[in-house]
Amino acid sequence: MKEKVLEILEEYCEEALTYDGDSMMEDGIIDSFTVINIVSELEEEFDIEIDAKYVVAENFKNKEAIIGLVERLLEE
Amino acid sequence: MQLLSYTFVLLWVITFALYYLVPQRRKWQILLAAGLVFYVIGLKGVPVSLFITCATTYACGIYLQKSLASQRKALADCTDKESKKAVKHGFEKQRKQVQILYFALNLGLLVFYKYTVVALPFLKDRGVPTGFFEKVIMPLGISFYTLTAIGYVVDVGREQCEAEQNPWKVLLFLSYFPAVTQGPFNRFAKLKEELEREHNFDYERMLRGIQRFVWGAFKKLVIADRIGLFVDNVFMSQAAEVPGSIFAVAVALYMLQLYADFSGYMDMALGVSETFDIVLPENFKRPYFSKSVAEFWRRWHITLGTWFKDYVMFSFVMSGTGRKITKAAKKKWAVMGRHAVPIMGTMLVWLFTGMWHGRTASYILWGIYYGLIMSISLVLEANYAVWKEKLHIRDGKVWGLFCMARTWLIVFLADVLIRSESLTQAGMIYRAFLTRLNVRALFSQTITSYGISKYGFLLLFAALFVWLMVSVWEERGKDVRACLAGWPMPARWCCYYGILLVVLITGIYGGGYDTAAFMYQSF
Repeated sequence: MKEKVLEILEEYCEEALTYDGDSMMEDGIIDSFTVINIVSELEEEFDIEIDAKYVVAENFKNKEAIIGLVERLLEE
Repeated sequence: MQLLSYTFVLLWVITFALYYLVPQRRKWQILLAAGLVFYVIGLKGVPVSLFITCATTYACGIYLQKSLASQRKALADCTDKESKKAVKHGFEKQRKQVQILYFALNLGLLVFYKYTVVALPFLKDRGVPTGFFEKVIMPLGISFYTLTAIGYVVDVGREQCEAEQNPWKVLLFLSYFPAVTQGPFNRFAKLKEELEREHNFDYERMLRGIQRFVWGAFKKLVIADRIGLFVDNVFMSQAAEVPGSIFAVAVALYMLQLYADFSGYMDMALGVSETFDIVLPENFKRPYFSKSVAEFWRRWHITLGTWFKDYVMFSFVMSGTGRKITKAAKKKWAVMGRHAVPIMGTMLVWLFTGMWHGRTASYILWGIYYGLIMSISLVLEANYAVWKEKLHIRDGKVWGLFCMARTWLIVFLADVLIRSESLTQAGMIYRAFLTRLNVRALFSQTITSYGISKYGFLLLFAALFVWLMVSVWEERGKDVRACLAGWPMPARWCCYYGILLVVLITGIYGGGYDTAAFMYQSF
């Protein structure tokens, strides 16, 4: 799963792979369009539904947070 | 009530004294009382619509929280995935209906107050009795507290914050007086955390708050209101008689006026709040250093942009309709299809942003203009690297300056729309740029015949230079107030008193030393 998430990130926002901070959205690494595209790809890839309530800075603060979000939604 | 008035300063001083005198558990009540006094004096009446918004927001929050608790209980009793899905769907449907009712009521109030003025002439033309409508006054800060309240309700529904059990605290959240008229937009969870933590008097912090307030007053009185004299005169002149170059200077100065006025207010609001040890979110991060329009809007009125992104853009894109459109578009156009919904969301956000800012067709056009620019950038983004490579463009200072200038030009063209008195005038100004620029008018007596003398311009440029230096300092990550605090005492206090004297002596005041209203207050 982790590799697939990283692949999607690489396709839409390569910078996210090397980013080591914890506020990717505020730091302008990832904008709302990229978030939308990543969400759409993750939903398709893992057959999950990422509701708007999960699209918050906390869940997209870095690549680990995105992986964590997918893990949680897969467990639900 | 203006933030720059004797009444406000008196209210601030009294609130400040009481705030640090009462015990911790009573501090929020002092702020609430101050908010209501601010509101009642400002409105010269009882804030009925604020109370309606507060009551419905409180009730909706409580309902949503109870519904979510019942849903969790019901889900725990379910054994299979299908029944879980059905239970969840049932509860979600109920919550959605209540939320729609809530949004309709509060947005209805906002639209009613905001558009009554626009509707009056039409109603009069059609012979409809308008006696009642003529008495309608737009409540102070309704555009701000309505969106703040909606954000709270959405957050409770999304389980991003707990519903507040005390209605008076909801009222404080909506009417926190430094932010009630022009923002910043607060998030309930964040403001609650700020209000409920321990606050003790701190001399240095008080000083920092006052410094920020005075700096805001400097931007408002010395820069924004001085520019206002020139800009108002130019735009009130017969458009056909004003050279294009004078209009160009007026629009460029208007860009700075709007920024100085709004960010000046923010400095004052955040400074006042800082004296109460309550940190409000920043609303500006030196937007004119932006290298793209998207970046500009990430740095300008940040809390409004975040509000629209979180509550309109993401709500639309992640909705059932948004998902269906995405699926269909991707099926039809494999590569470009993924842009369909973000583009629709962007246009929607900018249309609403335009309507939120103003009541005229110019604002709607202004919104559509930015929506189109953002959408075009989104579609072309993938090609930028290739084009730069082909044109042998390297990243560096020159390219950075070019990108900044490009952003200024886009904002400049948009500001013609919102500053013009009408769309006809805007059209004439665009034409004047192209057909009768007459650059010589800038170096003749003409430029000083619009309300600012030669010395007025010199003073303005000196003030702008100081502001630019401070901005460059901040852009490099420096905390200017902390740097000043490190100076030797005589130099430090000379600087503080110097700025204060400049504000008092060179600020633009009306009769009786009142100040012009803040520009964003009318949005």
